[in-house]
Amino acid sequence: MSRKRFIISIVAASLLAIGTAACSVGDSEEVTRTVTVSDTTAGGTSSGRTVTIIASVPPTDHGWLGAISKDAKAAADQHDDVDFELLQAADADSQAQQIEQAIAQKPDVLVVLPQDGAALTPVAQKAERAGIPVVNIDRLFTAPDAATATVLGDNYQIGVLAANYIGDQLKCNGNVVEIQGLAGISVTTDRTKGFTDTLKKKCPGGGVRIVASQPGDFNPDKGLTVMENILQAQSDIDAVYTHDDDMAQGVVQAIRNANRDDDMFLTGVGGSQDAMKQIEEGGLYRATFLYNPNMAGTAVNMARLIALGQGFSELVPPEVPRQVVVPAAVVTQDNVSEYEKYAFN
Amino acid sequence: MTPAQAAEPDQGGPEFSDRLKALRLQEYGLAAVVVLLFIAGSILKPETFPTWDNVRNMLTQASVIGVLAIGMTFVIATAGIDLSVGSMVAAAGVFGGILIGTDGTSSLVFILGAIAFATLLGVVNATAVAYARIVPFIATLAMFSIARGVALLLNDKLPVSLLDLNGGSFGDPRPFSLLWFGNGRIFGIPASVYVFVAITIAGWIVLNRTRYGRYVVAVGGNREAARIAGVPVRRIIFSVYVLSGLLAGVATVLLCARLGSASPVSGNLYELDAIGAVVIGGTSLAGGRATIVGTFLGVLTFALIFSLMTQLNLSTEVQQVTKGLIVLGAVLLQRSESRY
Repeated sequence: MSRKRFIISIVAASLLAIGTAACSVGDSEEVTRTVTVSDTTAGGTSSGRTVTIIASVPPTDHGWLGAISKDAKAAADQHDDVDFELLQAADADSQAQQIEQAIAQKPDVLVVLPQDGAALTPVAQKAERAGIPVVNIDRLFTAPDAATATVLGDNYQIGVLAANYIGDQLKCNGNVVEIQGLAGISVTTDRTKGFTDTLKKKCPGGGVRIVASQPGDFNPDKGLTVMENILQAQSDIDAVYTHDDDMAQGVVQAIRNANRDDDMFLTGVGGSQDAMKQIEEGGLYRATFLYNPNMAGTAVNMARLIALGQGFSELVPPEVPRQVVVPAAVVTQDNVSEYEKYAFN
Repeated sequence: MTPAQAAEPDQGGPEFSDRLKALRLQEYGLAAVVVLLFIAGSILKPETFPTWDNVRNMLTQASVIGVLAIGMTFVIATAGIDLSVGSMVAAAGVFGGILIGTDGTSSLVFILGAIAFATLLGVVNATAVAYARIVPFIATLAMFSIARGVALLLNDKLPVSLLDLNGGSFGDPRPFSLLWFGNGRIFGIPASVYVFVAITIAGWIVLNRTRYGRYVVAVGGNREAARIAGVPVRRIIFSVYVLSGLLAGVATVLLCARLGSASPVSGNLYELDAIGAVVIGGTSLAGGRATIVGTFLGVLTFALIFSLMTQLNLSTEVQQVTKGLIVLGAVLLQRSESRY
């Protein structure tokens, strides 16, 4: 009897506590709404209210994804009023589960870089329906109601830049090999489409031929073996467009092992330290197209503004835009020193 | 009565000789698949496929999965499985890489370090399966995850460059330096191919001509009978997982030698190609029947498919469907032949 009573009293007490907490959250929201009107600057580091942001990213076993995580944390650390948690998932399924659990924790905003945009769209929609705004990074959800705001690199533009660079270098005459990323995700499709579309426009005579186009799965050992086979099939290669700097290291090794590094040049994507070092030294690795990992910091900053009901002060009226596209850039031996600060491991 | 005889109750009877014949036919069937694939490649890509250079390339590529598949044959012969070999390749490579340090140049340290580390991971698998009695699928699935995590942890998710492990020579790497195992040749044949072929021959002798090999097959065929006959079942099971780890270490050396670096994301799903090669080769997933020649041919089949499809520049989706169909076809072809 006494035990039952004890349990009941605990339950009652916790309900009371939750109720109080909820009230206080409600109150502070009112406060920040009033603050919003007077303070619309994006650079403020403290707003008097704590914002909880949960970010969910794929496994950070890849240089660029590692940089994304670091950058998100660094941005969160700059704000005293941000309570930040970073979740790393092993695959799309476990990421969906992690986000389900995150929804239960009721953060103010979710920041999601999905392993697979299409697969994680339903769970993002669920978060939005539960009243938790979602900021989507890089890999797009497939429904417009799955995210409040989106920050993305321009994968199509990366392909455009690569086609222009390679077209110029070859003076619109030569054979190109494309080593793609993981088949079936928008990042790969866009990098390929931007490249092929632009090559047609830039070299309308068809002087640049794509003689082989194969996936290397963003993986150095897959890049190595695929390139070994392509080198067997193609005796005349002038340039290689790879979708990723890490994977490109395997491609570079295949070309070196075949002693054909004097016959061709190669470009990467991403801006890794290794790639930048090789671009600086000159030789096979001629350029990389920077896909800025700082977009994660932008996403965290946007998430904070959304939670606080604020906006970009430069916009009239100040709002958080639906979509922010972070520009890509060409890094070559001439300008690599300017870009080295963006290099990641 | 020797233990091996007890473990194979069919031995001596007509059924046994039928089985033996079936096994041979299966090997012949797969040899036909290998020849057919080679002919197909020669017709579709007459200038670049049937060349000595491409054969050399295919054999080099086959050597990594090949070494893993020989170890896998022993594991599967005991009715076990090892899902962790790809992850072990990544972990062993990164371990060897951090062992030599940033300005180390000792190939021997890398080679022995990588092999020792993979063997150690194999010992963990072996202990889990043989002594903790965890089903092989689960024990090695756990290692699949653990070893990948270890590979990422060891060097803060970064790859380690091994380009200095050339024996101090900046042109062609010195014999027996790490890079030589990826790029060096003796009489025009790549060093890695010698390693693969030597391990295949050793595997064949051990499996077919030693008491240990008979014990391995006996344990997979009928564990209880083997135990009653006095086969040290637990020790045999323990040994095959250690062997699989050891050979994962050798595969690590062959892969890193060609890649010039040790990457924590390398070896992704290599276990599936290794298991696939073993099974289309004719080794039974239920244990008790194993063929090294079949495994060798299975490895060649996969290497030929991959090379041919890349040379033809088929799109990914077409490649995946084609690869699946060829695997199904290879298995069906063997089965219909073995009925006679």
